[in-house]
Amino acid sequence: MDLLSNLALGFSVAISFQNITYCLLGCMVGTLIGVLPGIGPVATIAMLLPITFHLPPTASLIMLAGIYYGAQYGGSTTSILVNLPGEASSVVTCLDGYQMARNGRAGAALSISAVGSFFAGTVGTIIIVIFAEPLTRMAQKFGPADYCALMALGLVAAVVLASGSVTKAIAMVFLGLLFGLIGTDVNTGAQRFTFDVPELSDGIDFAPIAMGLFGIAEIVVNLERHLERGGAIKVGSLWPTREEIRRAIPAVLRGTTLGSLLGVLPGGGPTLGAFSAYTLEKKLSKNPGQFGKGAVEGVAAPEAANNAAAQTSFIPMLTLGIPSNAVMALMVGAMIIQGIQPGPEVMTKKPELFWGMIASMWVGNLMLVVINLPMIGMWVKLLTVPYRYLAPAILLFCCIGAYSLQNSTFHVMQVAMFGVLGYVFMKLGCEGAPFLLGLVLGPQMEEYFRRAMLLSRGDPMVFLERPISLGLLITTAALLILMALPSIKKARKEAFQEEG
Amino acid sequence: MARFLTKDFLSGAMFIVFGLTALYFGEKLAVGTAVRMGPGYVPRMLSYILLGLGGLIIVFSLFSPGEAVERLKWKPITLVTIGIVCFALLFERAGLLPALVALILISSAGGEEFKLKEVIGNMIVLAILCTIVFKVGLGMNISILRGVW
Repeated sequence: MDLLSNLALGFSVAISFQNITYCLLGCMVGTLIGVLPGIGPVATIAMLLPITFHLPPTASLIMLAGIYYGAQYGGSTTSILVNLPGEASSVVTCLDGYQMARNGRAGAALSISAVGSFFAGTVGTIIIVIFAEPLTRMAQKFGPADYCALMALGLVAAVVLASGSVTKAIAMVFLGLLFGLIGTDVNTGAQRFTFDVPELSDGIDFAPIAMGLFGIAEIVVNLERHLERGGAIKVGSLWPTREEIRRAIPAVLRGTTLGSLLGVLPGGGPTLGAFSAYTLEKKLSKNPGQFGKGAVEGVAAPEAANNAAAQTSFIPMLTLGIPSNAVMALMVGAMIIQGIQPGPEVMTKKPELFWGMIASMWVGNLMLVVINLPMIGMWVKLLTVPYRYLAPAILLFCCIGAYSLQNSTFHVMQVAMFGVLGYVFMKLGCEGAPFLLGLVLGPQMEEYFRRAMLLSRGDPMVFLERPISLGLLITTAALLILMALPSIKKARKEAFQEEG
Repeated sequence: MARFLTKDFLSGAMFIVFGLTALYFGEKLAVGTAVRMGPGYVPRMLSYILLGLGGLIIVFSLFSPGEAVERLKWKPITLVTIGIVCFALLFERAGLLPALVALILISSAGGEEFKLKEVIGNMIVLAILCTIVFKVGLGMNISILRGVW
């Protein structure tokens, strides 16, 4: 009954006054940025990363996690009420959610999505609890070569599931790896690409980079596009009809299953989960014509899926130390800031942090239902704040946050620089997420690579001789070959077209 | 000319530029051997991979020209960047307040609508908020107005 005692430990940590306060704070901030279009969880977590330096490790991770899954709840509110996705993962909710709102069922859509999300979040948390230990035990058997292969698989899979051109995304990964090498070489003490800037000798800080690539570049693009706001809609009764409940339940179950599965995959996560769940519902439905006209299933399934995926995407990060998407890359960063090396040791060496964080996710999900349903009026009011007020505020918080990292204006300059770079990336259709993953994994991957080669006396065959490493590399190669097949290329293109 | 102004062609060129830059500045780093890798081994490997991928992307882009790059709007990106740089320059020399005024004024000018009254209102709200959160709440060692507070 290890599981129960672990959970008990987790809950005792999660419901301590301090942690529950930070959990609530994270969920509130998450809902806020979820509701507001034009700022996502990646930019927010990057912005708040410097502040977490002042907090105890457990509290800071609990808060950051809260922002991430809180954003999934908040995002759906905007989608349903004003037909504007607050988050990328709630784009599909717009299709049927807004139609339900126009039919006067806004309240029902909101409560179905909130309760469905809560159910999915609960299942996601249980899955983490069950799989965390076996996966961690497996990871402890990994040697340097295996880790290197695992990271390669993680990076490639992240690329494959991201939208856009595969070649470009792979190049972005390598570019990120290269940027990750900036700083002092740990083995020889040589300065690499530091250009005699003392601030760079400790390595490049990724918080300013994430702020620049995701925060600043996003603001600029939104300023160019002139973000439109629709008029707010009346919420109406929150109670769904019996018929709506009957149709929502199986959809929530299917969405949860699909979302949980897709969340664990590297590069998966809420957005992919939501899109797949919507497509699945449409295929299974007896009258697919209803979709896009306010079908309950079209709200219930994707909302459950995005929340389940948000939870299970923590699994590779927590157990293996491998981030599967940009938010998880930042969580890894938050751990490193706190002096914790992410990986299988976290669970054995810091059980209170590990289980406390997992338990807090369930507590947070419970809080989010309360934050989102009875307090819905407050969030609706926030939607009337125009973007021209919001953009300078985000910029300001980014600048102060970057400065506070090491009390140096050099980091603020970095934000500006990577803002421009991020803008260039966006204009050239190159995605920021693979870059960030490469950046975070770069130093570790080099370290494992060098250690593996040293152990094998310079024989690269070591990666093919160890069964674990071989298996991982074969999977990686298979993924790459699959992507090159014309039929899959076409299907992939279509899938992402629906997204846009 | 149009075939060179596609997103793919230009991004391929970008990767090549990054690869060459890394090769140039990493030239002095010792490569070492596969057993005992020097600090330059992995950077050089990555540079060559970037050059290769960049070249590949360019070749593909010439055979099947993809999307063209959208027309750039210079105003938002330039003004936002200038705003942040001004913030960085003013923050330690003059304090949070002047830096905040500069950042908000310049970056707001990058948007489509610019109403001085609103911008000033925004500044006042944010100045109060930041003072409370960062100076009083988190106790950060920053000065609001250099020499005054």
